Amino acid sequence: MVDTNQKEFRKRDLLYVVPLWLLSLILPDPHLDHLRKESRFRRRDLFYLGGLLLLPLMWPDTHLHHLMVLAGINAILALGLSLFLGYAGQISLGHAAFFGIGVYTTAILTTRYGFPTFVAFWASALVSAALAYLIGKPILKLKGYFLALATLGFGEIFLVIVRESHSLTGGVIGIFGIPWFSLAGFSFDTYLKQYYLTWGVLIGLLLFSKNLIRSKIGRAFLAVATSEDAASTVGIKVAQIKLGAFVIGAAFAGFAGSLFACVMSTANPETFGLNLSVLIIMMVILGGMGNLYGPIAGAIFLTWLVDILGKYQEYSLPIYGLILILLLISFPDGIGTRLNIRLIYLISYFGRKKRREKAEL
Amino acid sequence: MTPWAYIPQLFSAGITIGAIYALVGLGFVTIARASQIINFAQGEFVMLGAMITFFLLKGGGLPYPLAALVAVILVVIIGFLLHITVLYPLRKASIPILLMATLGASIFISNTTALVFGTLPRTLPAFLGNQPLQIGGIFIVPQSLFVLGATFLLLISLYLLSHRTLLGKAMEASSTDPLGADLLGISRNLMVFLAFGVSAGMGAIAGIFITPIFYTSYHAGTLIGLKGFVAAVLGGWGKNSGAILGGFVLGVVESLSIAFIPSGYKDAVAFVILLLILYFRPKGILGSPFIDSRRW
Repeated sequence: MVDTNQKEFRKRDLLYVVPLWLLSLILPDPHLDHLRKESRFRRRDLFYLGGLLLLPLMWPDTHLHHLMVLAGINAILALGLSLFLGYAGQISLGHAAFFGIGVYTTAILTTRYGFPTFVAFWASALVSAALAYLIGKPILKLKGYFLALATLGFGEIFLVIVRESHSLTGGVIGIFGIPWFSLAGFSFDTYLKQYYLTWGVLIGLLLFSKNLIRSKIGRAFLAVATSEDAASTVGIKVAQIKLGAFVIGAAFAGFAGSLFACVMSTANPETFGLNLSVLIIMMVILGGMGNLYGPIAGAIFLTWLVDILGKYQEYSLPIYGLILILLLISFPDGIGTRLNIRLIYLISYFGRKKRREKAEL
Repeated sequence: MTPWAYIPQLFSAGITIGAIYALVGLGFVTIARASQIINFAQGEFVMLGAMITFFLLKGGGLPYPLAALVAVILVVIIGFLLHITVLYPLRKASIPILLMATLGASIFISNTTALVFGTLPRTLPAFLGNQPLQIGGIFIVPQSLFVLGATFLLLISLYLLSHRTLLGKAMEASSTDPLGADLLGISRNLMVFLAFGVSAGMGAIAGIFITPIFYTSYHAGTLIGLKGFVAAVLGGWGKNSGAILGGFVLGVVESLSIAFIPSGYKDAVAFVILLLILYFRPKGILGSPFIDSRRW
């Protein structure tokens, strides 16, 4: 995957060397990956986990907590899509629709029928996954642009249905007063509690995905992404594998939607448009496809970026579009990947040499 | 009155909007014939053509034909710029990246338009007044006839361009076999560059002709662009005649649907048709030169 001439140091890299030097200390080392035992819990993971636990306590700022809750929800979405886009190599522009289905399932079950939120949480994922199965079965035989277009069409149809079926979804006004997430009498009613809830769910799903990628099914995802023809010759059922990735991604989106409904306590169709789908795909691309930590980093980065841009009101969307294009042009295979290849290679070359020698012993 | 009584009227309205889908679809096909790129910012060219004309007319005080001409030229320049700044640097990127880049460009163009020209919906004066003509039991705005005429002329000139000139042959060659075209000295990048200009110009013309009938605003481009793409897929992806046929079929079906289902669902009709056509006949009504060979 790594093109050799990308390793060369270029003068313009100096522009971002200094602020990113610290990052290089904690980012994964691409040259050690194949030597490491995959299942081992690494020091880096402990670092991330500790950082996550301490972050809201170190900055007791409610806006930051809320932002991190949203980032966590986006990260769940991006993680689900990364299984489909990054590992199975298929494009979906309708991922926001499954998020919307999760939000509306929770909203309707809790406000209309009085189900507990915990039940609605699982029901959202189930409904999303079931719909993904029904939708995916016919359209996943498409490829590339046509798959993107078909999923986009599904997203638009979903939006129109939500807007028009007033009796069920409240139309453009939406549904209000969704209760906080609660589990065994404990209600997640502050941003701080929601932060731990969201990131707890995210870590659970991350562990699930990590194990999934190492399983037979996960290896099949990678095979399908590399070459469908080659995968089918070794006995992988390509259609089933793609459908599986799609359904799992949708279930993740259902979980995220349910959390979102409980956090925002409203459901509104404007939230689940094409813009959200674009944002999720950008998170996966910028984080680096075929990497599970990447989408999470991408989600935090883009949520933060959208929040910062929100301050510039009418200028925010043009700047947002511009930044998306610039990021795509300068980091087409993800910010992390480029950092690994250029920066870490450059800066921690000697340190890593020692570590590599150690690992090889 | 039963819904059936409205059908002739809705049919004529569908033909008009179908002509616009056809023009937008042609824009997609022009770019796809020169490269494998699908430019999701195509709808923004339609919106830009109308918006720039409006402001040259109202703000600049230019006469109508001159304003329209200047607007088309400006949009063609924007199309060229889009290729140079976004798609040329990404010429070796994979499909998801290209898709995101054109969507990002679409977000940028539409929201910059809102910033520069304001968020109010705009309309242009009709070319020859708004007095509807009555033909049989149907009322037709004269502008509809202009739209049809423009579609017809553009189709003919595009046909001549792609089948009767060396440039068109070169575009076709670089699309069919990029490596072979390179070896013959055809610059693939130049072909894509020119295709962007042509499709931007067609989008702008479509925008100028349609806006006297339908209002335009900064966010109108996305939906028109998507429906134009649906039209191109419906008729047969990669064929000019397919885009035209698909545009008219889509316009008429969408328009007739108003008689039978609530009008709020109108925007979903195009996408339901899309899912059906992609499922049952992905190569479209007329068949596609691309789908089978490249396995898209």
